[in-house]
Amino acid sequence: MRLEDVWFRYGRRADWVLRGAAVAAEPGSTVVLLGRNGVGKSTLLQLAAGVLRPVRGRVTDRPAVVGWVPERFPAGQPFTARQYLARAAAVRRAPAHAVAAWAERLGLTPYLDTRLAALSKGTAQKVGLAQAVLAPPGLLVLDEPWEGLDAGARVLVPEIVAEVTAAGGAVLVSDHRGEIAALPGATRWTLADGEIHASGPAADTVVVEIGVERAAAGETVARLRAEGHTILGVRG
Amino acid sequence: MSALVAMRLTAFVRGGRAAVPLIAALVVLGVLYGGGQAGVAEGYGVSAAVLFPVLAWQSKLLLDAEPDVQRHLARVTLGERREWTAGLLAALAAGLVTAAIAMAAPWVTGGMRTPRGAEPPLAVGLALGVWAHLLALAAGVALGALACRAVTRGVLPGVAVLVTGGVLGIVLGLRGSIAPWLVPPLMPAARALTDTGPTAAEVGLLTAHAVAWAAAVIAGYAWLRRRRA
Repeated sequence: MRLEDVWFRYGRRADWVLRGAAVAAEPGSTVVLLGRNGVGKSTLLQLAAGVLRPVRGRVTDRPAVVGWVPERFPAGQPFTARQYLARAAAVRRAPAHAVAAWAERLGLTPYLDTRLAALSKGTAQKVGLAQAVLAPPGLLVLDEPWEGLDAGARVLVPEIVAEVTAAGGAVLVSDHRGEIAALPGATRWTLADGEIHASGPAADTVVVEIGVERAAAGETVARLRAEGHTILGVRG
Repeated sequence: MSALVAMRLTAFVRGGRAAVPLIAALVVLGVLYGGGQAGVAEGYGVSAAVLFPVLAWQSKLLLDAEPDVQRHLARVTLGERREWTAGLLAALAAGLVTAAIAMAAPWVTGGMRTPRGAEPPLAVGLALGVWAHLLALAAGVALGALACRAVTRGVLPGVAVLVTGGVLGIVLGLRGSIAPWLVPPLMPAARALTDTGPTAAEVGLLTAHAVAWAAAVIAGYAWLRRRRA
């Protein structure tokens, strides 16, 4: 999947969200899209997936089967999880047994007969993840896939990513939680001010979450930075 | 694509939205046939004309039933063209049911009488009724598509498109209209179905007009949907 001089904005008078983006996600590769909130990560992912059309430029070499996990799964539909996934499988022409297999793997089996609207945010997100992989995707686009998932399910994301890339597919995933460490070897695209800066895989790093007294937070951050560590975020 | 058509129809029915335009259609038909019996072709001609805005509204409701993100998922899965085509096919299928009910209802309620005098025979009247309702269906689905949320992006613009199209369809279809070609020929068709019925040339001309109108509106819809997912 290749973006060739892609420009995008939401209206004629709106600011450009993307200006001349020219990047490629090669088969078998994982790309992590980084950037602050509101910078246009979801827009870029939707351009890659085929939801949006570029205003200028074009997206080429998009595989025939694209799986897209939106940031928020649209749970306001009059189906149970089972009915929804069965219909999603039919639309994708995926085998019917794929529903049960992915439900089992994602821990959805107990919720298959629950209405979508009654699912918790994390469980609905799993349904969103399942629909995207019912047919093996040539391009998997994940918009903040870890959002709302419990610890047990979060580890499934890198597993699924690894399986898709091993099968020759490309994976494009946005991340603002610092989960990039779970995707070793991923190329990084950083989006800022409408421009994408691509960089190679990060060094072999892990994320360590630490808790400190509120009063000591500033000093701790400064000390860790001075020691060469990357601060992914401070919350609380 | 048929799986997506079925999914959208199912969501439309299960979500309860299908009932509202159907009730509206029955109310309109009740008013239409409540005053006495009508000739077959004449009754169907008026029925098709008054159902046009109802069919447009029904189509808009069906196309708006799906959350935006689910529509985007369908677009990713099937591609832009097949996604919106599936929406139109689902709207056509729902409209066919409404049109069939509209054609059956007057026989059940005694609102239709058998032909008399120079009126077209029963079989011809029925065929002309099917023809008139198909014209209304094509026009209604096209207008409903143009008014759907994916195009208008809001409630008020959508209602404005629907009401404007519905009102103009009647007003500009009146005899002596300054721009009859701007709207689908449902009023002219209703007029042609009175008395002895239309000639074959009239049927051909009105059909060509209706097909051209619906095609132009659908082409506009397709063009707008290129930029509006």
